[in-house]
Amino acid sequence: MDDWKPSPLIKPFGARKKRSWYLTWKYKLTNQRALRRFCQTGAVLFLLVTVIVNIKLILDTRRAISEANEDPEPEKDYDEALGRLESPRRRGSGPRRVLDVEVYSSRSKVYVAVDGTTVLEDEAREQGRGIHVIVLNQATGHVMAKRVFDTYSPHEDEAMVLFLNMVAPGRVLICTVKDEGSFHLKDTAKALLRSLGSQAGPALGWRDTWAFVGRKGGPVLGEKHSKSPALSSWGDPVLLKTDVPLSSAEEAECHWADTELNRRRHRFCSKVEGYGSVCSCKDPTPIEFSPDPLPDNKVFNVPVAVIAGNRPNYLYRMLRSLLSAQGVSPQMITVFIDGYYEEPMDVVALFGLRGIQHTPISIKNARVSQHYKASLTATFNLFPEAKFAVVLEEDLDIAVDFFSFLSQSIHLLEEDDSLYCISAWNDQGYEHTAEDPALLYRVETMPGLGWVLRKSLYKEELEPKWPTPEKLWDWDMWMRMPEQRRGRECIIPDISRSYHFGIVGLNMNGYFHEAYFKKHKFNTVPGVQLRNVDSLKKEAYEVEVHRLLSEAEVLDHSKNPCEDSFLPDTEGHTYVAFIRMEKDDDFTTWTQLAKCLHIWDLDVRGNHRGLWRLFRKRNHFLVVGVPASPYSMKKPPSITPIFLEPPPKEEGAPGAAEQT
Amino acid sequence: MSRINKNVILALLTLTSSAFLLFQLYYYKHYLSAKNGAGLSKSKGSRIGFDGTQWRTVKKFIMLTSSQNVPVFLIDPLILELINKNFEQVKNASHGSASECKFFCVPRDFTAFALQYHLWKNEEGWFRIAENMGFQCLKIESKDPRLDGIDSLSGTEIPLHYICTLASHAVHLVVFHERSGNYLWHGHLRLKGHIDRKFVPFRKLQFGRYPGAFDRPELQQITIDGLEVLIPKDPMHFLEEIPHSRFIECRYKEARAFFQQYLDDNTVEAMAFRKSAKELLQLAAKTLKKLGVRFWLSSGTCLGWYRQCGIIPYSKDVDLGIFIQDYKSDIISAFQDAGLPLKHKFGKVEDSLELSFQGKDDVKLDIFFFYEETDHMWNGGTQAKTGKKFKYLFPKFTLCWTEFVDMKVRVPCETIEYIEANYGKTWKVPVRTWDWKRSPHNVQPNGVWPISEWDEVIQLY
Repeated sequence: MDDWKPSPLIKPFGARKKRSWYLTWKYKLTNQRALRRFCQTGAVLFLLVTVIVNIKLILDTRRAISEANEDPEPEKDYDEALGRLESPRRRGSGPRRVLDVEVYSSRSKVYVAVDGTTVLEDEAREQGRGIHVIVLNQATGHVMAKRVFDTYSPHEDEAMVLFLNMVAPGRVLICTVKDEGSFHLKDTAKALLRSLGSQAGPALGWRDTWAFVGRKGGPVLGEKHSKSPALSSWGDPVLLKTDVPLSSAEEAECHWADTELNRRRHRFCSKVEGYGSVCSCKDPTPIEFSPDPLPDNKVFNVPVAVIAGNRPNYLYRMLRSLLSAQGVSPQMITVFIDGYYEEPMDVVALFGLRGIQHTPISIKNARVSQHYKASLTATFNLFPEAKFAVVLEEDLDIAVDFFSFLSQSIHLLEEDDSLYCISAWNDQGYEHTAEDPALLYRVETMPGLGWVLRKSLYKEELEPKWPTPEKLWDWDMWMRMPEQRRGRECIIPDISRSYHFGIVGLNMNGYFHEAYFKKHKFNTVPGVQLRNVDSLKKEAYEVEVHRLLSEAEVLDHSKNPCEDSFLPDTEGHTYVAFIRMEKDDDFTTWTQLAKCLHIWDLDVRGNHRGLWRLFRKRNHFLVVGVPASPYSMKKPPSITPIFLEPPPKEEGAPGAAEQT
Repeated sequence: MSRINKNVILALLTLTSSAFLLFQLYYYKHYLSAKNGAGLSKSKGSRIGFDGTQWRTVKKFIMLTSSQNVPVFLIDPLILELINKNFEQVKNASHGSASECKFFCVPRDFTAFALQYHLWKNEEGWFRIAENMGFQCLKIESKDPRLDGIDSLSGTEIPLHYICTLASHAVHLVVFHERSGNYLWHGHLRLKGHIDRKFVPFRKLQFGRYPGAFDRPELQQITIDGLEVLIPKDPMHFLEEIPHSRFIECRYKEARAFFQQYLDDNTVEAMAFRKSAKELLQLAAKTLKKLGVRFWLSSGTCLGWYRQCGIIPYSKDVDLGIFIQDYKSDIISAFQDAGLPLKHKFGKVEDSLELSFQGKDDVKLDIFFFYEETDHMWNGGTQAKTGKKFKYLFPKFTLCWTEFVDMKVRVPCETIEYIEANYGKTWKVPVRTWDWKRSPHNVQPNGVWPISEWDEVIQLY
């Protein structure tokens, strides 16, 4: 605008147009010479002013610009990160429409390579036995799932059937056997392999080697098989090389409505496989649950830390149940993944939650323990205002009234210093020993498996002396130690608000799970109103226990407590039995009783000053340890406490066998 | 004829130039007021009416945030300043009766809002809706500093800044994150490579040149220029915080490296000392805050923060620095009321003042007062039995916020210079035996107190 110049061309134009009024005006003016002169001077002055203002403006702008240039520092500041820009990683897909796949099967080694990149390699001794399955995206060739099913062992073939059925049609399936994969490969599984078009799979024999590439629901792309010549030897190693034609991206994807949720779903489903209907094109299962809000929710602002490892399917199941629980606030949830695993992170992203990965330090139990510490510290850092944190694990189902249960009880943790935690899990709450969803207990043991931690307890006591990595300790065992617990107790419900479904785990296997966890009772009733919550406070609870013991009917101590007839066939009564317990730490008889009642007997759980509370045949059943328990005074003098002999020592195996 | 032509030219020239002049005048005024900030005359207020771009952009932005439940409040220094000046008027004004646009129409490049991240529920959908409304938005993310202190955690990135433009006006949304120590933190606005550097004039932004820390403000709802906005309840206090809000993070990575080399002391005594030192520091911080006295971590406490992000277990005391101009005579009584009796007092306000209070469990709180000279700062020391004076010299420094043992406290921004002045280049090596008269690198003898003054300048309790 500064270089504007009056153009001489325009003047005659305007003048001609306005000739008529201009003429009259001109004549008037010529008659008034003085006036004309005045106008002329005025115009010149005006022009001068314009010029001055213009010049000033130009000068000012110049100054402003030079000022701005004098201060290049901040610009530099902002540019700092420029050099560190990562170039986006490119995978060598490009216009190639064919994948070249190699599959190797042998006794001691399996591997799968896609376009020269090894996506599976397992030559470790003593592990990875069975059928390895890899799912590739038919459009990109990305590995979407990698599983191994030890079909030498029972039930693993069922898991394989479940998994293969969940894989979307059109995906590329790769199977290869390491060591042995046929011993427990049952007919259903074989039928499924046949339906995939496999020739050798359904006929897979003892110690055969087998490599297979095919499209789900489509043609077989390659298969090799080598029979084992004798029982004691293995089939020859087979190497299958085949070309897999890629299909177009549109074919490989579903066309869901374009919403934020479906974008998440799309990102997830184009990356991983094996989550069933969540990726179904026609009728995908929801990933947002919007459970009913909880009126007067006291735990709405309590952060929830989900401790996870690399069990993405567990995590998926866990998060579904957690997000379906009434009163959940998703923005308070953080999932802590122990290790740089992608798939658990994908599951977290599917549900739109916050995920944090943890570089593994230390080994085994100590690793879990360090992961716990880092996760808890991070939780209280991320939510500095929080007074509590809910701690969950990836292998738990969460009851629909989990948050309702906590909302009704959390004030106890605030008001009663003698409490250590609130836990959703009753160690002794099995199908046959738990009955009342509204009932709470105080126990001296810390059950874990879905619990609330007080920030002050963590920050002031636990965090500073948390076991260091070189101490290979279980964090929960450490927390149960008297130095930490210091006589404090936990609040638990009679019927657990969490369910431990994990079968694969550090301290977990199928037998153990079936014996101790499978028959655990789990509340499914929404909105349970807890009874008499304030009676759980230290003094009030003693009053309550004394009342219970006073009204309890003493059982016939001459009968065998392991027999079903020990308790009468009544309903709603309260019974008490007295067992021998010489000292505070004498649990000989209790352990035997627990064993024959088929409840937790691996260590002592669920006791409160030598008293255990559970249900038998719909009756409240109290067990008092005499004379160690202060409640021993309730024992009528005529009664002799029950004594059960421990079995001879060498029967080392836990009571698992009895349960199955 | 020539005269007529001359007249015509003259008249036309006059006309065009007057039109031009008017335009220039208008523009010039605009330009001047933008430069001077506040100056907003009544006449201009009515001229730049409710249809100014700034007002319309802000209005749309407020519509967006309230419909999407984005918890924002206004932190724009320029507008808060105006509100603060007319606070009574703003408070008394009933809704909707605004006759002229006095605040949001002030010419400026940006309007700054803060986003309370912890109250935010639907992060995902918001961005798209903003874009559908016509905003062009830029999101700046970074890793979460709250996870830095913990070994080996890496999380999803957190948003630090949003800049949304609409019709040549930009809203700068500064994301405030909660941190341990009851304060709000915002991050550094760092432009990564792919970001369009010309998106907005970034260097004119009021926030983001450095990370910042603020007291968590109480908020209030007001209606200005027909728009309902949340602002800090005490705009004055917030405005005062802005220029001193720069925050520096502890060097967690280096601290970890330090512990790799020297191992942390986890004995019972060390843990007990750390606990009581932390409590003492918390108590001192609370007391000084109540008095409105600025302080910073000094000497060993500062070294502990800088070197190992924690309290040095064998340091045996907590050291704080205070500028002598911030000295208040009721400091001693305030500490005594807080349960910290005076242990000794050396020097006087005019020279080498040093206070020492007795905390619980034998932990001592030392407060050194700093004196400013033209090219350096210093604090003094006094040897009780000889009356000898010492002087500790430091290069000039400014103060920054940081987080230390779950507290927001100040440290010298130029920390490394401060520490090297005090401990020399070998500050990284732990030294267990320390003589305050000889060990520091910056100690100088400073004469002897005249005996006549001893009663005043050496007080032991």
